[in-house]
Amino acid sequence: MAIGVLDSANLNGGQKLAVKYFTAAVALFVAQILFGILAGLQYLMPEFLYNVLDFNVNRMVHINAMIVWMLFGFIGAVYWLIEDEAGIEVVGLKLGNLAFWLFTSAVTVVVVVYLFIQTGPGTDTTRWLINEGREYIEAPRWADIGIVVCMLIFFYNAAATFMKGRWSGISGVLVLDLVALAGLYLAGMFYVTNISVDQYWWWWVIHLWVEATWEVLVGCIMAWGLMKTLGARRKIVTTWLYIEVALMFGSGILGLGHHYFWIGTPEYWFSIGGFFSALEPIPLVAMVVHAVYDSGVHRFKNANHPALAWLIAHAFGNFFGAGVWGFMHTLPQINLYTHGTQWTSSHGHLAFFGAYATINIAVFYLAIQKWRGNVWMAGGLADNGWKWKWSLALLNIGVVGMTMALLIAGYEQSFIERAVGGSTWSGYFAAQTNPWFMQGMWWRQLFGWVTAAGVVLLVWDLVTIGRGETRAAEMPEVEAPEPGGAAATAGA
Amino acid sequence: MIEPVALENFFIAFFSAAMVIICGALYALLFAYARVHRQPRLMPLAYGAYGLHFISVMVLAYAMNLNGFWQIVVVAMLVGYLLAPHGIWYLCQGTHTAEAAGGAGDGSSSG
Repeated sequence: MAIGVLDSANLNGGQKLAVKYFTAAVALFVAQILFGILAGLQYLMPEFLYNVLDFNVNRMVHINAMIVWMLFGFIGAVYWLIEDEAGIEVVGLKLGNLAFWLFTSAVTVVVVVYLFIQTGPGTDTTRWLINEGREYIEAPRWADIGIVVCMLIFFYNAAATFMKGRWSGISGVLVLDLVALAGLYLAGMFYVTNISVDQYWWWWVIHLWVEATWEVLVGCIMAWGLMKTLGARRKIVTTWLYIEVALMFGSGILGLGHHYFWIGTPEYWFSIGGFFSALEPIPLVAMVVHAVYDSGVHRFKNANHPALAWLIAHAFGNFFGAGVWGFMHTLPQINLYTHGTQWTSSHGHLAFFGAYATINIAVFYLAIQKWRGNVWMAGGLADNGWKWKWSLALLNIGVVGMTMALLIAGYEQSFIERAVGGSTWSGYFAAQTNPWFMQGMWWRQLFGWVTAAGVVLLVWDLVTIGRGETRAAEMPEVEAPEPGGAAATAGA
Repeated sequence: MIEPVALENFFIAFFSAAMVIICGALYALLFAYARVHRQPRLMPLAYGAYGLHFISVMVLAYAMNLNGFWQIVVVAMLVGYLLAPHGIWYLCQGTHTAEAAGGAGDGSSSG
């Protein structure tokens, strides 16, 4: 195994495919930040790129790029672990490669259409070829079908590989979750003329993807990541995965109700949404106890400092972004005023970064370590690891700064536009021109640049970390699941 | 069904909601830390954090006009956050006891 150089011979088939997904994910991460900065600038200079690249286009690409890069990261992470978990090669590797190129090509075409065609006549042609119009999942129908086909190929590869090889607790949860991941997307793929009915099903994709299936997918990746970084025992991470899945699904599925408050659904959704939203932070609190217990047992001894640092950032980010920021405005008594304001945006920035971006970045670092031949990535790096430390700091400071700025703007907007202005047109403009709102937007932009600097440093570090390093890492032994309930240890 | 938050209670509503989660987590953190490091003197601090959580829930209930059915939500929060760290602790102990005893594997089976 060549140490310190990027050598595909260090990777198995699934991992080679995973690297493609990771590369595309990083490119989309950069695009997300770029279009976020453009959209942010348009709050401050509304004439900027007016009629060339309007705010609605920039925002759409910003958010779509985020969703897709995270999805690419998750798919890559699963392909990364699949052969180690199953003990055999990926069953449909060629099919997986084909799906990757299909998915990537489709994303490229969709973005090109978003940028250069932008709008259509508002007929079925627009819906099928240009833009479907549903926020966050604007991709035209042909691309929707492509996404489902790629998800089904991904599901087939995971299920068939584990069926032919061996199952484990992690792989069982993962495969069941992938059924939901592909299936739920179908809920956003039929057209109805009633906006309430349309929103009802649209939230199935948005909420149940993000607060149920993605959380479980991340739970599987986290379980595996803890074994890789800390050498945590398989039995423990698997038990915890079951507990967290039960808590997540127990509170998260009907937590969907907090999106049904104001779209014309029956009043009982107030009660259901309120009750289950109050329970949703409990799994996150449970993770706090578990994290303290496990850190006490393992004392953070690990072979990949950047990956563990990002896993820790994930634990905190998930708790604050999803738990604290979510609960602050989830009950209908206050959500009446905050729904769809910058408050939601504040929650969205911290929750998506904390829960999902962080864990994807952790997996990128695990991947680059193996790609360079299980190179040394613990303390005492040649450059003292300044690039990963600074990128971690800048990204976290940037996102937290944007979150706080948007929180102030959202508070002002909820108060002036909604509560005082009664959601009127004049109330809207009074809020948009209020100094607190404008200052919030300026601060958001500033911290957006800090985030962008963090991303540049992150990409630079991912390309260079471990290059020329001659020391091999002391990788923790990872238990491989074996038939009959016994666990053997396998070199990582 | 719901009585929206009064204007003058806006900040209180947001702040108390944040404190509900933060104090709930602080209680869980101190509870787990006190037990992992066998420092029972930290336990009163843990329950102190729960006390703050209790107060936060009460303030939230007042600011958000949580009446009628919503009082069930209040009770669910108080009971849930009180018991969750205990329950999770016993699960931690159970899994790690098995680890110490040399238990391994996850019940996997070949396909």
